[in-house]
Amino acid sequence: MANDIPLNWFLYFSAAAFAIGLTGVLLRRNAIAVLMAIEIMLNAANVNLVAFWRYGTPAAGAGPMPGVILALLVVTVAAAEVAVGIGLVLLCYRRWRAVDVDRYDTLSG
Amino acid sequence: MPPNVVPLDLRDFLCIAPALVLAFWGLVVIAADLGRFRRLDPDARRVACGRATLVGVGLALASAVFLAWVDALAQSDAPRLVALFGDSLGGYFARTDGLIFFGTLARGLAVDVLNVLFLVLLAMVVWMSTSYGFTDDLGEYFALMLWATVGMMLLAAAEELATLFIALETTTICLYLATAFERSRRRSAEAGLKYFVYGSVSSALFLYGLSLVYGLAGSTYFDAIGRVLRGGDAGLAGNLAGASALLLLLVGFGFKVSAVPFQQWVPDVYEGAPAPVAAWIATGSKVASFVAMLKVFVHALGPWSHPSGSVMGPGWLGVVAVVAAVTMTYGNLAALAQKDLKRMLAYSSIAHAGYMLVGVAAASVSTEGPASAGAVVYYLIVYALANVGAFAVAAWLARDKGTEAIADLDGLAGRSPSLAVCIVVLMLSLIGVPPFAGFFGKLYVFMEALRQGPSDTRIVLTWLVALGLFNSVVSAFYYVRVLKAMYLREPSGRPIEPARPALALPIAAAAVLVTVLGVVPGPLVDLSRSVAVPMLTAGRLDVPAAVDVPAPAPPAEKPSGVAWHPETPTD
Repeated sequence: MANDIPLNWFLYFSAAAFAIGLTGVLLRRNAIAVLMAIEIMLNAANVNLVAFWRYGTPAAGAGPMPGVILALLVVTVAAAEVAVGIGLVLLCYRRWRAVDVDRYDTLSG
Repeated sequence: MPPNVVPLDLRDFLCIAPALVLAFWGLVVIAADLGRFRRLDPDARRVACGRATLVGVGLALASAVFLAWVDALAQSDAPRLVALFGDSLGGYFARTDGLIFFGTLARGLAVDVLNVLFLVLLAMVVWMSTSYGFTDDLGEYFALMLWATVGMMLLAAAEELATLFIALETTTICLYLATAFERSRRRSAEAGLKYFVYGSVSSALFLYGLSLVYGLAGSTYFDAIGRVLRGGDAGLAGNLAGASALLLLLVGFGFKVSAVPFQQWVPDVYEGAPAPVAAWIATGSKVASFVAMLKVFVHALGPWSHPSGSVMGPGWLGVVAVVAAVTMTYGNLAALAQKDLKRMLAYSSIAHAGYMLVGVAAASVSTEGPASAGAVVYYLIVYALANVGAFAVAAWLARDKGTEAIADLDGLAGRSPSLAVCIVVLMLSLIGVPPFAGFFGKLYVFMEALRQGPSDTRIVLTWLVALGLFNSVVSAFYYVRVLKAMYLREPSGRPIEPARPALALPIAAAAVLVTVLGVVPGPLVDLSRSVAVPMLTAGRLDVPAAVDVPAPAPPAEKPSGVAWHPETPTD
């Protein structure tokens, strides 16, 4: 592993991706863009998981659940989440004729 | 990972029988709705779907009670189990400290008790759902409620972070959809999308925290994490990765349990969702999230609660204490201004989350050890029962009025005197008035908070308890408004119709249970304490074969509990 890219680079990359995703969620008003930003955040965590699996040593009694498997599970969960998210966005689009989250204003607060 | 992983023990599937039954029954309900019930008129179809769902809940309840009996027997009379079920199965059941599925899930009496609680609550919620027609997609609706419960059961049993994450997502994804199920009202779709955005952002934050914990501890198993952190030398000061992991996990759980400042979604979602779905979000999902939070924070991250010995130093204890104080105060003050019953219950559930966070903080420092978390478990049970009843009242209003304004309850005592008494009982229990169970819930949580050695944690927690008592008094004002509407006001306009059994029974059952548990709190308190101990100590991975893997030699100069390579700094 001596000639590999150091672990830190992966961590900086994933932290940057996570920050980009979080900024997107907070600043973008388009519901589809918010969905994409959430995906970026989930994938940032995935990069972390795989990097830690590749570089880390498992703790004693860590059990047979390595980071790559976690990453695969997260990919599956993310797919399910997007399917549901798109469904909800479409439902709202049909009611309001808009995908702008600021336009949905029936509920106070 | 080397290929010599232990094979899956098929007997493990027996231990999650209730969840399996519910998962399968969801498909049965959809198929039955498609094949048979669709021809019926809407009211008959709703009742038929609801009854079919209740059969599945009943089957799951039977299996959960059976497992509880087996696990109780394993603690008291293990040889009899072997005699009853033979060597293989009986011996398997007789192991009381078992973790199943490679140590990712817990089994045993604690899990069974929580499963029974979930199923009883689910039965009440499903029954309530048959009382009025808010959707045409009945099969899908009931299936989603069942699958959400599967997620809750697994969430409460999870002993490992990835399993916990998947269970959490199973629960919330089903609930996002169920929230948007009300056809006739736009606000339901909006509430669904809002819940989805807040929920999935909090999941992403949680997952990022999880990945950092995995990197720091080299494991995702609660017990292994706890051991690694305990081994390190107080490791949180100056540990940026650890601090951000802690904070991200706290934010993730803060969203799920609706703690301030992550509570914005709660009032909107409760108001927009159909009343039974709101009931299930407020009770089932909250119970499961709090159990998971206790496990993660007290069991896995317990060594980081206040590693330097002072509450306001690094560690999560100070943060949780502050969050608890703000949460209960904000919830109660905001509830005072609400006119909508479901919105009021939403703020009240935020306030209750604050009281329970006091219990979480107390559980990590109590001199009693893990048993002190029993107070939180007891509070959760009592809170969930009273809230299911209160949301049934909201469903009643939604059926007849289409809205849930508290003013719609005007004059109810004159027309449905017995149910009005039941509602009084529920509200008094939520305030915490003595003969009812809510009082004992608060009493035990606050007592555990005061049971500390003489230190500055004691001072902080005493202040929290004082604030909690003050808040209970404030909360009386808005709960009493419901009683005032029922008893002192005359109805204006068309009064609400009498409740049919689908509504009356959940309200009455919740009131009776809250009263009985309040008059005789002893057995449930003991049960909660015995549930809390295995919940927070279940550890030994019973996968001995995985241990004989020659682990790569850890670097000698390993810094403070950090499992990755030492040449990488921990920032």
